[in-house]
Amino acid sequence: MTEEGSGNVTGKYVYCIIKSSEPRDFGRIGIGEGDNQVYTVHHEDLAAVVSDTPIRIYDPTRENVLAHEFVNETVMRERTVIPMSFGTLFRTEDDIIELIKSTYHAFDDVLQKMEDKIEFGLKVLWDRDRVIETLEEENEEIARLKDEIDRNAQSSTYFARMQLGRLVESALEDAGNRYVRDIHESLKPAAVASRSNKPIGDRMILNAAFLVERDREKAFDERVKEVSRKYEEALSFRYTGPWPPYNFVNIKLKLEKVGS
Amino acid sequence: MAVERTPGGSSLIDVLDRVLDKGIVIDAYVRVSLVGIDLVTVEARVVVASIETYLKYSEAVGIGPSRSRELTSPSSSEEMDRVMAENAELKKKLESLS
Repeated sequence: MTEEGSGNVTGKYVYCIIKSSEPRDFGRIGIGEGDNQVYTVHHEDLAAVVSDTPIRIYDPTRENVLAHEFVNETVMRERTVIPMSFGTLFRTEDDIIELIKSTYHAFDDVLQKMEDKIEFGLKVLWDRDRVIETLEEENEEIARLKDEIDRNAQSSTYFARMQLGRLVESALEDAGNRYVRDIHESLKPAAVASRSNKPIGDRMILNAAFLVERDREKAFDERVKEVSRKYEEALSFRYTGPWPPYNFVNIKLKLEKVGS
Repeated sequence: MAVERTPGGSSLIDVLDRVLDKGIVIDAYVRVSLVGIDLVTVEARVVVASIETYLKYSEAVGIGPSRSRELTSPSSSEEMDRVMAENAELKKKLESLS
């Protein structure tokens, strides 16, 4: 949209902010085509990790978001990062220095808080129908109602059915909460913080992120494995990471008129 | 068999879940403006509107599969507000992209 003239107008795509006074070169791994060398732009002891790009709006296509994430993961191997959300471009290096200047204290403070911490993702899914089957066998009240409905196949069972539905629903909820609580209890000793996002779809009972000290990574791994083994019959686990601490940092930036 | 960890970048959904609206976020309007604004020469600058870090271990309450309890329990209605705000934000972002 803002490509002017020959299309040679370049900007800087920003991936993350790190603490570093030394210029760094992370190789040609940046977003987009052409010279996508990833390097640092410095102000005092903070740096933005950037690559050159034509000025454009990046759509969150598979290729683009994975490139964004790949750079963050690469930088994260040696530095604590505060990740930038996808698609942020500045026109010039001076603009980025202006950005770091005016947000220095916020960035510096957050970098200290996140120092040597990484994020892991854990999604837990269950087979709802199978859990219901188990409930029907184990929960006396549910078993009794089900039996009653089966025996009265000819007469009206509307009320019993309603009651059964409600019972199953609340027993399911209790069972889900029990699993989730237990998983959290198992992981808590190895994590600094956790956040629960909304589960996606009917099968998911937990959609969480955990913040873990780098040197506790193995301990956290072990605990996830342990709890996944414990529940392997009933639940399936999706364990991802390490991630930059996306779920534990939220810095909203806005544009302000100078002098206002 | 215990679960194996997969690297962050291997699941597009997990990546999208994070990179679009988490971390350092510049709202869509500013994001579009930035590519046309030279901060150094134009009388504008990027400032921090809000800053939050989450360093507590949040206990899981009411995140079972039933939706009804989530609306009545306070910790979950906060969660709901957050999700709705996030939702609105994402919609806005999507509109601006298309």
